[in-house]
Amino acid sequence: MRVSTRAGLVALLLLWSLGPMLWQLYTSMRTPEALLAGAGGLASGWTLANYGAVLGGDPPFWRYLLNSTVVGALSTLLTLALAIPCAYALSRRGGLLRLLVGGGLLAAAVFPYVLLFLALLQVARQLGLANNLLALCLPYAGLQLPLAVLLLQAAFAELPPELEESAVLEGFSLWQRLRWILLPLMGPAVVSTGLLVFLFSWNEFPIALTWISRSELLTLAPAMARIAGSSVYTVPYGAFAAATVLGSVPLLALLLLFQRQIVAGLTQGAIKG
Amino acid sequence: MSALLLMAPALLLLLAVFVWPLLDYAWLSLQAQSVFTGLEAVPVGTLNWQRLLVDGRFWQDAWQTLRFAAVSVGLELVAGLAIALLLHQRWRGRGVVRSLALLPWALPTTVMALGWRWIFNDPYGPINGLLQLLGLATLPFLAAPELAWLATVVADVWKTTPFVALLLLAGLQMIPGDLYEAFALEGGTPWQGLWRITVPLLRPYIFIVLLFRLAQALGVFDLIAVLTGGGPASSTESLAVYAYLNAMRFLDFGYSATVMLGMFLLLLAGAGGLLLWRRQTEVRA
Amino acid sequence: MRGASRRRLTAIGLGLGLALAIGLLSWAWARPATVVRVLMPAPFADATADLVATFNRSHRDIRIAVTRGPFETDAVSDLAISSLLLGDSPYDLLLMDVTWTAKYAAAGWLQPLDAWLGPDALEPLVSGARAGNRIDGRLYRLPLVADMGLLYWRTDLMETPPRTPDDLVAISKRLQEQGRVRWGYVWQGRQYEGLSCVALELIAGFGGHWGPGEAGFGLASPAAARAAGWLQQLVHEGISPQAVANFAEPEALQSFEAGEAAFLRNWPYAWQELQREGSAVAGKVGITTMVAEPGEAHAATQGSWGLSLLSGSPHPQAAADVLQALTGEASQRQLVRRYGYTPTLTALFDDPELVAERPLLPQLRQALEQAVLRPLNPGYAQLSDILQRQLSALITGRGDPAAAMARAGRDSDLLLRASGQMLDTPAREVSR
Repeated sequence: MRVSTRAGLVALLLLWSLGPMLWQLYTSMRTPEALLAGAGGLASGWTLANYGAVLGGDPPFWRYLLNSTVVGALSTLLTLALAIPCAYALSRRGGLLRLLVGGGLLAAAVFPYVLLFLALLQVARQLGLANNLLALCLPYAGLQLPLAVLLLQAAFAELPPELEESAVLEGFSLWQRLRWILLPLMGPAVVSTGLLVFLFSWNEFPIALTWISRSELLTLAPAMARIAGSSVYTVPYGAFAAATVLGSVPLLALLLLFQRQIVAGLTQGAIKG
Repeated sequence: MSALLLMAPALLLLLAVFVWPLLDYAWLSLQAQSVFTGLEAVPVGTLNWQRLLVDGRFWQDAWQTLRFAAVSVGLELVAGLAIALLLHQRWRGRGVVRSLALLPWALPTTVMALGWRWIFNDPYGPINGLLQLLGLATLPFLAAPELAWLATVVADVWKTTPFVALLLLAGLQMIPGDLYEAFALEGGTPWQGLWRITVPLLRPYIFIVLLFRLAQALGVFDLIAVLTGGGPASSTESLAVYAYLNAMRFLDFGYSATVMLGMFLLLLAGAGGLLLWRRQTEVRA
Repeated sequence: MRGASRRRLTAIGLGLGLALAIGLLSWAWARPATVVRVLMPAPFADATADLVATFNRSHRDIRIAVTRGPFETDAVSDLAISSLLLGDSPYDLLLMDVTWTAKYAAAGWLQPLDAWLGPDALEPLVSGARAGNRIDGRLYRLPLVADMGLLYWRTDLMETPPRTPDDLVAISKRLQEQGRVRWGYVWQGRQYEGLSCVALELIAGFGGHWGPGEAGFGLASPAAARAAGWLQQLVHEGISPQAVANFAEPEALQSFEAGEAAFLRNWPYAWQELQREGSAVAGKVGITTMVAEPGEAHAATQGSWGLSLLSGSPHPQAAADVLQALTGEASQRQLVRRYGYTPTLTALFDDPELVAERPLLPQLRQALEQAVLRPLNPGYAQLSDILQRQLSALITGRGDPAAAMARAGRDSDLLLRASGQMLDTPAREVSR
């Protein structure tokens, strides 16, 4: 492929991937009049008022970001705490159990989880888990366990068994082996799995929509949907765009910081799955 | 024994989150639990299932969901493979472009669905702005059934193509380069190489992509809920949106559970078909 | 000495008494007011903002806190339902569309108002506005503003408006042939709640009744088939544009306002819009009720917004006080004068001052007296959906009206049966 062709294709790819985002950025800094007047006149009509409106709303927008961060971080910790022992045990077992559990996990990993919202809503009602950010971590951990266990199990399986055998001879207990020998070697796999779980929890919509009704507890995804609940035609689009930009920035930062680990996690899933 | 002990907490949570709901739905689909019964469950036998069989909206939505999934996933496969091939070549700045191209996948669906609503706005969105600049009439993207459907497909392809591209890229990196060299020596063109070497060897990856993406696309909810709300005239409504409406707007939990179980059964049938297809292609290959 | 000590005692006593009084007063002063939380759709939250501020200034013990809900009716209901389902509602009062009442009451989310407002709470209302608030004999909602379907007609094109469906078709055809209008009649044909309102009026106008009692919830009847067939005929014969199949209120209004059509079905709000500067039909519009077969009712679909008291409210008495204040005469008067809403109180329709300011009021009252309710059924949202689907298919296609209405009837029956209505009480339908 010629270099100029490739450059053209890369430019096209970036335009397609980033264009919609850039348009949001542009919209978010335009006054309503400038948006309705059309393309003419880029010299005037710029404003930061849209950001002011979104950040000064009731509740302010950063609250949603904070809620999502809290839920994302706690769900990730809970998922890893449950998945690591499970993945270890699975990788050390052979035979029917592993086949059965592995198959079940794969089926659960691809299951369109939106189907579960009604039953989970009833759980929330009966156990009084509604409007509680900590409680929201339970279904999130459950939903992400299959993928997490599959990824970590593959990573455990790659560690040489001699390592653990010699540790057993040294008299290390199971906990000591996990903590001091195996986990340090699992660092990259744990980080990339954790990032995928975090992304899922940050972005999750239907469960959050049904478990949280108080506006000050909303996470980002249902908050955006509630903002969108205003009419299709007569909406303050500048403010909408400011909200989408603010909602995207943390993820953009996360992606740029950890892109290698996220990509590794994703491709691991493909290769091992 | 200790292995089971280590796995127990995770397996218990998995049972609670995945298995219990399905059992609950199986029970609920045999009950009337709705506003008619004061939200109490009353056994009604197979009435919900009889209703499902003749419910035109369920089958219309099933067809719409299938059409949406087939077209979006098809487009994503083609675009994803093209992007993967582009990213597979060695050039400077490849890493940065790869992470930037991944951005659409990482964003919450509801965030960008709201963004797309503005992009498709009639007449102030950029697409209609461009049409007006060219002296053409604006298009009511979200108000006309076919155009609204197209809008959902475009937004979905935009969001998930990076994911597909990345998985296929991982597959490409597993193919030894000397295969292509040998093929070129025998006089094969790069285009032939794509069909004779790349696609056949990528088949396991394509299968994984199909499995993940089809399951997700058939359960599409976030995107439709925010972009079109299922309209206009339920033309973009998916089965998940219909089930949600039944529960949260019609307050008909028994039927909502039946719709979801019905959808689950359709999915199972689809997955069975896919597995059969894979087995057959493997035998042939 | 004794006098001095007595004076001192008195002074101490007075001082103590004063301190106690100040203490008590400031305690009473500082006692936090009961906060009554109200969820309203955004337009109503804006229209009542002044009323709420006035109330809060004049009441020390009660404070109203309004939550400004989304714009769309459905989105407001979604928000309310999601918090009610979780059993954790942060609201005391809810401003509800008339079609929600049965559903919310059946779900057990509403408190009957009879205990707070007495048995005569609906007496001051014009009769058309009384319907739709009582379920199973209990009062669940007090209306704030009324709404009803009207037939708008062009006074410059005809002497008197049509009263029967045949009249409307004949006048339309004549005007279209003469080239004086492009279309005869524009209405709401999109697949949404507006289409059900159109159908309700016509089914009544052809002598039928959408509701329980007859086979197929009244839809499997010749009257319903003729009503549906008439709508189909309007589109097929070009009296209504094909685009009417995607018309909601704004599109129909736009077409009529541009002078394209002789007749329009819409709500009272359209009047002001049609009279504004730039409207091609300003000063040339009359209103009447929907056409009907000779001897049948000229029906107007009743739509209204009213306040309900939620079961979970921790201070129902305070909430009921707020409910009465917001739906009261002073409040309604301001909504009529400032925002052009239609009142529900007889006193306001009879008020000569208000009538002078809003000359349409007597005609609106007449239409309101003809108002018919959409079925007051907990499953109304689904029943309406069933009807809309069949009608939408008829308008956009060549299907047989009788067969389509029979299907709608069968689906309605199936829904009611599956939903356990038959197992429960035979008729949860309502007494007016």
